[in-house]
Amino acid sequence: MYVLTEYVVRGVQAGSIYGLLALPMSLLFATAGTIDFAVGAYALLAAAVATIVAGPLGIAFGLAAAITAAAAMGGIFLILARTGTKDHIVFALASFGLAVAIASYILWQFGTQAFVRASFSRFWSLGGIRISPQGVINLGLGVLVTLLLYLLLYWSDLGRMMRAAAANPRGAELAGIPVARIQFGTYLAGGLLGGLAGIMILYSAGLDFTASLSLTLSGFGAAIIFGIASPLRCLVGGIAMGVAEALAAGYTSGMVTAMVPFLFVLIVLSLSNIRGGAMAGDRP
Amino acid sequence: MRRLVSLVLSAVAAAMLSSGALSAEAVKIGVVLSLSGPAAVFGIPERDAIQAAMEKLKADGKLKRGIELVVYDDKTNPTEATRMVTQAINNDKAVAIIGPGTGGNILAAGPLALRMQVPLLGPAGTMAITDRKNEFYPWVFRVAPSDRVDVKVILEDMAKSKAKKIGVFFQEDAYGKTGVDFAKEIGPALGMEVVETVSAPYAATDLTAQATRLRNAGVDAVFLQVSISSLGASFVKAAKQVGLTAPAYTNAGLAQRSFAESVGSDVDGLRVLSIGNLPYDPSEGEAELAKLLKQAGKVPQGWGELVGTNGLMTVVAAVNAQGDKEITGTSMRDAIEGLCGYQAFARGKPCFSKDSHDGWAEDSLVITELRNKELRTMR
Repeated sequence: MYVLTEYVVRGVQAGSIYGLLALPMSLLFATAGTIDFAVGAYALLAAAVATIVAGPLGIAFGLAAAITAAAAMGGIFLILARTGTKDHIVFALASFGLAVAIASYILWQFGTQAFVRASFSRFWSLGGIRISPQGVINLGLGVLVTLLLYLLLYWSDLGRMMRAAAANPRGAELAGIPVARIQFGTYLAGGLLGGLAGIMILYSAGLDFTASLSLTLSGFGAAIIFGIASPLRCLVGGIAMGVAEALAAGYTSGMVTAMVPFLFVLIVLSLSNIRGGAMAGDRP
Repeated sequence: MRRLVSLVLSAVAAAMLSSGALSAEAVKIGVVLSLSGPAAVFGIPERDAIQAAMEKLKADGKLKRGIELVVYDDKTNPTEATRMVTQAINNDKAVAIIGPGTGGNILAAGPLALRMQVPLLGPAGTMAITDRKNEFYPWVFRVAPSDRVDVKVILEDMAKSKAKKIGVFFQEDAYGKTGVDFAKEIGPALGMEVVETVSAPYAATDLTAQATRLRNAGVDAVFLQVSISSLGASFVKAAKQVGLTAPAYTNAGLAQRSFAESVGSDVDGLRVLSIGNLPYDPSEGEAELAKLLKQAGKVPQGWGELVGTNGLMTVVAAVNAQGDKEITGTSMRDAIEGLCGYQAFARGKPCFSKDSHDGWAEDSLVITELRNKELRTMR
């Protein structure tokens, strides 16, 4: 039982990063009805920049780089929207293209080096389980950002405008809501959140140029598992994926380990379909 | 009679001229390496070292025949590798190829080497490239220690510290799986057993669960079969967090200056297998190569330079061994199979034969330890 508890604790810590990656997807889906597949690339870019710039300033530069990349994606979104693109899959594919471009840029500029920063050398003990303070920071940040976003989306005028912009863009515009600006701002917020996740990973496990797509997929999995439109469900989805991953690493062997979290997502989505969309993929 | 003498003299003169032209014509060698793409971290140092060493050999008059290098980029891509090898052989008339740059690329170009009858000198550890079951076996040589030799040297070092129970952490691909299989195969002969194996995909964001599992198995030493630097660094950090104190060893993929300098003090204590130790504790030959690189404005990176020059020195020895004879792909292959104990920059005694196309063995390897962003030689 102790061993099981330890795996669950480690999974919860790791899952908070997936939750952080899922939040931008939730936010954008709630305001523009599309997905930004470049979120993993924003995380990678932030980590790479924070590695080369020394000290806390590196974090600021890393986040700025992620927001700049997200601004580029926001610009692409607006151009496509103004030229008559209505199919949301086009925006998603454009973001996928940007993600590939960013990963290639990182490889070109930084090579295959690891982006890792030293964090805490002392650990806390929780009932005999050694916990890294960095893991607690990651979890705390994930919960804090999720709550803030939830309050923003469902308890503020801006949040109402954001949701209106997604539900009925034309109607929202007629009601005087600056839809384009809101959607562009959401991309920027996505860059910030993706960048934050990248910084957390930099100080936790580390990453390299190959991480972009994998981070996006983990974030996407966390976002859709219990319902993409709610930040709270994203965090829970991320933690569920983290726990599934830790249990898979603890109790399965060989190549099965990597498969289990995505298998878990598949099973949850399939079960929710059987139950009539009660759990996953639906909009609350 | 006078006409006959004149004809004979003309024929002799023509023969002498053609012989002179033959020896004056430079022998073309293709250098097909990964100069872009993920393996460029090794490919670029390989190329830089080959070019720097070539200049030195020319200046010192150590070439018995003119040798001209033609350099191509295989872009870490098997399709590009076969295209570039074809180009080097067909367009430049190369009689030997140093490369392609990775195990996969060498395997892709192998059938081509067989068809064109031109030897490849592969700077990769992948076992399959010199597997005798390959139809192209006679045409592929390895100028680096094999993966199997790498694993053996790591396990031998573990055995010295009386380790009995080994845990393996591997990246989820063919390279990782091969390392696990070798460890399971070689371990028992050294009195060790692989008691637990754990794995992770390339971009895993947390390895504490894997480290916990190895800690719970009570392993005496951990073998990391990874080539992704972030995975290696991440595992060592995770091991410290969960209290896994057994020494960790990793394979040569991480023996690079870029890895040593990019990871923080969290990763200190990691033992890294390396082909020589060019950047930090060079042998006499390695120090000479490091000096040449610095003169050429390059910073020594790791083993890439050494395996690159292993290819060059093998080619030079094979060309020199043939004197004034006409050099073809077949003659180069035969000459390489007769080489043993020739001069190279890397430590160890290179030796090829018809039955063994693996030129470098355990004596070219060292175990290093990561301390303060440097890889210091332990043995």
